[in-house]
Amino acid sequence: MKILVCIKQVPDMESRFKPDSAGVWYSDTDLAFRMNEYDEYAVEQAVQLKEQLGGEPEVVVLSVGPDRVVEALKKALAMGCDRAVQVQDPAAHLKDPWQIASAIAAYAKGENFNLIFTGLQSQDRGSAQVGVTLAEILGIASVTTIVGFEYADGSVTVRRELEGGLKARVQLKTPALVTCQLGLNVPRYPTLPNIMKAKKKEILTLPVGELLHEEARSVTASFYAPPKKSGGIVLEGDVAVQVDQLLDILRDKTTVLR
Amino acid sequence: MDFELSQDHKLLLDTLREFVEHEVKPIARRIDEEHQIPDALVAKMADLGLLGSYLPDAFGGAGMDFLSYILVVEEVSKACASSGVLISAHTSLCCGPILSFGTQEQQERWLPDLVSGRSIGCFLLTEPDAGSDAGSIKTSYRREGDEFVITGSKIFITNGGYRGTGIVFATSDKTLKHKGISAFIVDLAAPGVTVLRNEEKMGIRGSYTTAFALDQVRVPAANLLGREGEGFRIAMDTLNGGRIGIAAQALGIAEGAFERALGYSKERKQFGVPICDNQAIQFKLADMHARIEAARLVTYRAAWLKESGKNYTLDSALCKMLASEAATYVTKEAIQIHGGYGFICDYEVERMYRDAKITEIYEGTNEVQRVVISKLLLADH
Repeated sequence: MKILVCIKQVPDMESRFKPDSAGVWYSDTDLAFRMNEYDEYAVEQAVQLKEQLGGEPEVVVLSVGPDRVVEALKKALAMGCDRAVQVQDPAAHLKDPWQIASAIAAYAKGENFNLIFTGLQSQDRGSAQVGVTLAEILGIASVTTIVGFEYADGSVTVRRELEGGLKARVQLKTPALVTCQLGLNVPRYPTLPNIMKAKKKEILTLPVGELLHEEARSVTASFYAPPKKSGGIVLEGDVAVQVDQLLDILRDKTTVLR
Repeated sequence: MDFELSQDHKLLLDTLREFVEHEVKPIARRIDEEHQIPDALVAKMADLGLLGSYLPDAFGGAGMDFLSYILVVEEVSKACASSGVLISAHTSLCCGPILSFGTQEQQERWLPDLVSGRSIGCFLLTEPDAGSDAGSIKTSYRREGDEFVITGSKIFITNGGYRGTGIVFATSDKTLKHKGISAFIVDLAAPGVTVLRNEEKMGIRGSYTTAFALDQVRVPAANLLGREGEGFRIAMDTLNGGRIGIAAQALGIAEGAFERALGYSKERKQFGVPICDNQAIQFKLADMHARIEAARLVTYRAAWLKESGKNYTLDSALCKMLASEAATYVTKEAIQIHGGYGFICDYEVERMYRDAKITEIYEGTNEVQRVVISKLLLADH
């Protein structure tokens, strides 16, 4: 069995973001980067499956981006992936989800992966498109937002999270792609000995130009902080009126009374 | 010259920060209040590899460099100085000398249990009448056939309460002073070893500080570390490296307090503005940051010198002195920035203030560090 995990490196979400000079994405100077949270669930699930199958599957981890993404790849290797692929692209932030998925698909086509794990979405762009688009290009089944995963005899059973706290069980045959949601598992900490062992694992670098021949289908026209909100709503009048107003607001704008 | 951490160091930091945030920080206050680090946390730290960061993988260690070990102690100490010193004393003061001076057999016999946390290490040098003047220890040993028999008392032993593995220093003849001292690897659960008490302390209250009585403790001859009479040199060499670990602990305490003070100064409003808009607070933040950064650079350089096999005696004394004084200064100012809240236990900077003080004292008081530094400066005088 061969497994692919697609990961993205994203900034620490507590950072203060400033637009870049072109005004189409954030400036990455002075930002600290880490593995996208949802991709950590993907890595963990792939490694758990490898362990379940006695270490037989080969787990390949892939990331598209500039050379700093090697840090995230190394983390995935330290968590238990076998080898890594960096699709080297200093301008990955200017590619749209279609292009990213196309580049990954160009690599994955020749490798015949049985299972592909991705995060539900990236924490920075949040399009949630790359996983499903990749599955579509490869012509394989896909299921999104999984919070439970089981594998037996070539068949995958997942639990999906639906709106309103509902769940669904979905079965699918491999080859398949799943996108992973918070709650699927608790990602392990890479142990210090495994960080060292990861140094000996292969990291293949493929220039994006060798894989990507597709034009973008969408572009980010501008990137900006929304105008600062004014100082909230101040309720006035006597207490009974204020209570009614508050109830209306809670009913309309929040879920607390539903 | 390159001040950038390597990608592997950054990955280590990332792991440490996540681990500390989830496993250590939430219970740091409880560790202080209950005077104990939960065994479950010690086990988690061992599983992650924090108890054997720079030990070779042949013994179950991670095989990382010395700077990695420093980063481990620093990051853990940001949240909990007690846990930081557990790692530091265990690694620098017990695993360290076995690795540096032990035979292959001794390393194979002791290090795997230490690295895996099955046994927690400590260093038994200090006695009631022998602190800075370590050459004057009275604990004695004599040879009887295939054994050494050790008798005496030891105090202020970090990690002693675990009764794990100890490097015990004893003398064959007190009149020989430091030349009569030898070092032994001792199982502290052995007959004749008694824990007299675990001390009540001002800070690092989750860390054991133990007084031992050693009464005719019989140790196999194979447990002699180095040669007879070499003990004082082993002790001094070990403390030389250990000081960098204490500098890392102090640095972590200072950084932990600084992060909280910086955050609080932006949130706390008085006279309608965040208090960080006041120059009085701004200057404090600048001074705190300056001390931390200076201490960090010297600490990392000392680690680099040790790793490179260069002489690091001066730098280890320097970094221990600078970082510990940064820690007491920064934690004090952190309380001041918090005002009355800083004096309340909920805000945790008061614990950091209490934890910081010991770093100016143990593994060589800062007065001893100044002796070391000035002696080296005046070596040709």
